[in-house]
Amino acid sequence: MSKLDKIENIFLKIGSVDRRWIFIVIAVVVIIPLLVPIGLPIRATDTSKSVYDAIEALPKGSNVLLSIEYSPSTKPENHPMTISIMRHLFRNDQKVYVTCLWPDGQFMAQDALKQVAEGEFNKTYGEDYVLLGYRPGGEAVVKGIVSNIRKLFSVDAKQTKVDDIPMMDGITNFKDFDFLFSASAGYPGTIEWVQYAADPTGVPMSSGVTSIQVNEVMPYVQSGQMVGVLAGMPGAAEYESLINQKGSATSGMDAQSVAHLVIVLFIVLGNISFFIERKRSRKY
Amino acid sequence: MFWKRQIPIFIVTLIGSITLFGWFIDQPNVKEFVGDDATQWFDVLASFAIILGALNLIKLQLQKVLYQKPGWQYSIIAVFGFIFAIIAGFFVKGVDDSVAQWGAHVTSDGTLFKWMFDYVFSPMSATMFSLLAFFVASASYRAFRIRNFEATLLLVSGIIIMVGRVPIGGIISSWFIMYLIILCLGIYVNSLKQDMKITFVFVAVGISLVTIGGVITGWPIDQPGIFYLPSIQEWIYFYPNVAGARAIMIGIGLGIFATSIRYILGIERSYIGE
Amino acid sequence: MKDRNFWFVIASITVVFLVYWLLGHPYFVTERFVMLFSIVTLSATLLYYIRAAERGEEFYLRPIPALKAVEEAVGRSTEMGRPILYVPGIQDMDQVETVAGVVVLGHVAKMTARYETSLNVPVSRSIVMKAARESCREAYMVEGRPDMFNEDMVHYLTDDQFAYAAGVNGIMLREKPAACMYMGKFYAESLILAETGNSIGAIQIAGTASQAQIPFFVTACDYTLIGEEFFAASAYLSQKPELIGGVKGQDMIKLVVISVIVISAIIMTVYESTGIGFNIIKYLTIR
Repeated sequence: MSKLDKIENIFLKIGSVDRRWIFIVIAVVVIIPLLVPIGLPIRATDTSKSVYDAIEALPKGSNVLLSIEYSPSTKPENHPMTISIMRHLFRNDQKVYVTCLWPDGQFMAQDALKQVAEGEFNKTYGEDYVLLGYRPGGEAVVKGIVSNIRKLFSVDAKQTKVDDIPMMDGITNFKDFDFLFSASAGYPGTIEWVQYAADPTGVPMSSGVTSIQVNEVMPYVQSGQMVGVLAGMPGAAEYESLINQKGSATSGMDAQSVAHLVIVLFIVLGNISFFIERKRSRKY
Repeated sequence: MFWKRQIPIFIVTLIGSITLFGWFIDQPNVKEFVGDDATQWFDVLASFAIILGALNLIKLQLQKVLYQKPGWQYSIIAVFGFIFAIIAGFFVKGVDDSVAQWGAHVTSDGTLFKWMFDYVFSPMSATMFSLLAFFVASASYRAFRIRNFEATLLLVSGIIIMVGRVPIGGIISSWFIMYLIILCLGIYVNSLKQDMKITFVFVAVGISLVTIGGVITGWPIDQPGIFYLPSIQEWIYFYPNVAGARAIMIGIGLGIFATSIRYILGIERSYIGE
Repeated sequence: MKDRNFWFVIASITVVFLVYWLLGHPYFVTERFVMLFSIVTLSATLLYYIRAAERGEEFYLRPIPALKAVEEAVGRSTEMGRPILYVPGIQDMDQVETVAGVVVLGHVAKMTARYETSLNVPVSRSIVMKAARESCREAYMVEGRPDMFNEDMVHYLTDDQFAYAAGVNGIMLREKPAACMYMGKFYAESLILAETGNSIGAIQIAGTASQAQIPFFVTACDYTLIGEEFFAASAYLSQKPELIGGVKGQDMIKLVVISVIVISAIIMTVYESTGIGFNIIKYLTIR
């Protein structure tokens, strides 16, 4: 057997490797950069910059509706976005109204508010931010917020009457908000907000979505119905770099970068094996 | 048969027509029905229907345990989990009324339900989602093969997006990509001409031209932009990708429209088993 | 003018609407007129072809490999003596895709009744469980095998997305079905299900209109129904003239939409570059 044949046999073995070896390699290349960060530079894309610029341009004291619709499963992608957006909003002294279209979203919202509003910015509940909570109904909730938010939310998440919350004065429907940001992982989420709230009323909105959803949402960004989008963990990391405060998304990008390279390497190796197989089957 | 056939079709036709054409009617009661009530009726029905599902789940899992069918040990865990969640949600708060009221206890810190959410549900949910990382790797490895022109296009654009989307793509110089392209073209020329001399000349000229270009321009990492991975990735995302996504969205939208009209007009009746 | 009754009804509706319009169109949201016109026109197109099919006109439908493979998959399961796993998506019956999935389940159930293959349908919503059971029950009765129907073949797992994926994976790994069919609305769990099905060597057929999940199914499954093909599945499997006519009508509607897109693009290009014409986007935008 010639040297070339030996090399080809090695590639053929790689081509038919048990997928569990691939799993082990992926696990190792993801864990190592998390333990030993590389510190790759993050370059913000235009879509992330649009979100940043839109929020930066809001006058001080604007009413911003922040809608949380993701669960613990997509927390690594969506939660850093929520944290960064909250940091940006509170830094600029905006009034933040938090609502949730998913039941799990209320847990996520509470965690984020506890960390940012209470822990970092010392904001006052009821004056600087309010957690309206989760209501069942999907797009019916969105339509309800558009028509009459007080009919839908008579109490907040802490069971306090909405009429007794100072920052709810003057807020009756969606048009009373100056901006909407939706941190979304599926249905109901960004698309429902665009279709039933932002587009019909003209209130500007932006969104942070999982990487898988970016395809579905990009036509709305291109048509101007949404002002930019934070696309998955890379988008969250870009926003962290724009507000100059690194978080879990930035540290996750090292792992994601290496993992992507390894997947590309596997694809290349798989194709080399495929070509060798095809060459041999033609030969014989 | 009247109750199982005509009544369901009548209900679908009536409610479907009201919901469809109600959007064009500027009358408060109709608008309220279309905008709020119709969807909330469904949510109320679905909420009560969950009892049926829960009873079915418990019945099957208990049967498995009682008859010791294969995997009955997992059914014990399923039943235990079900009962634990019911207890945490409805019977044992874990804190005083002063800390959290019934209702707010599901999200309040310190309650049994919150503990269950933070330390049982969240990690398990995240674990299942994280399987995707491994499955994407094994699926890509198995599926991305250069079988024909379209598969090659898919492979190349997939690699560009995967590498260009992450920070590591930003530090790969466009000149490196150009060298890579020259080498790949060299392999292609060699497979066509089967002549080492022609291949060598082609690759040598290509590398020389790229090197001269780099020396003259000072090797900027992101120029020429057409070979810079993040720029190519953005272009692919914004133009061919969105165009394809829009086309599929329009097709799906028309499919949903046509299917819904068939249900509303009673042409398609398979959902009642006909 | 073959279908006189159809044109008579269209003419009548047009006259009635014109009279209503001239009387001041009370309670009508005028800004949405274009949408109403579109709905009526497109519905009329659909109905025209459905009626044409019912009259006996034949329409060509291109073969869809995934739908041909459904019967093969059922046959394969019968030969191997292993069950078929059918997953009707993770959303409720308020989604058209779920209803379409339950409709296809009915056809699959007819095949399993005919071939005496066992069918396992884990569902994620209680209402889907009831609807799917009825669909399967009717299918088995039509095939003359009510004795083979068992209510527990359609069973509820959980509402939660990933808990459901875990449950279905467990069923796949324990029961090792010979065929797995995924027909409905899916989200991130699609690749988890498809890869697990691939690992047990099952033949996999998927159909979904969830745009983001189509690439995962295409990668991991043997056959995939993409977008509208999924909604046309019922017509293909039943071969009923009215449903085939509906698919033809859908294609004609697509032709209309393509024409409108092309004409609008030309009009807007001319308008924005030379100022001649009008802003057609303003009329086509629905609020």
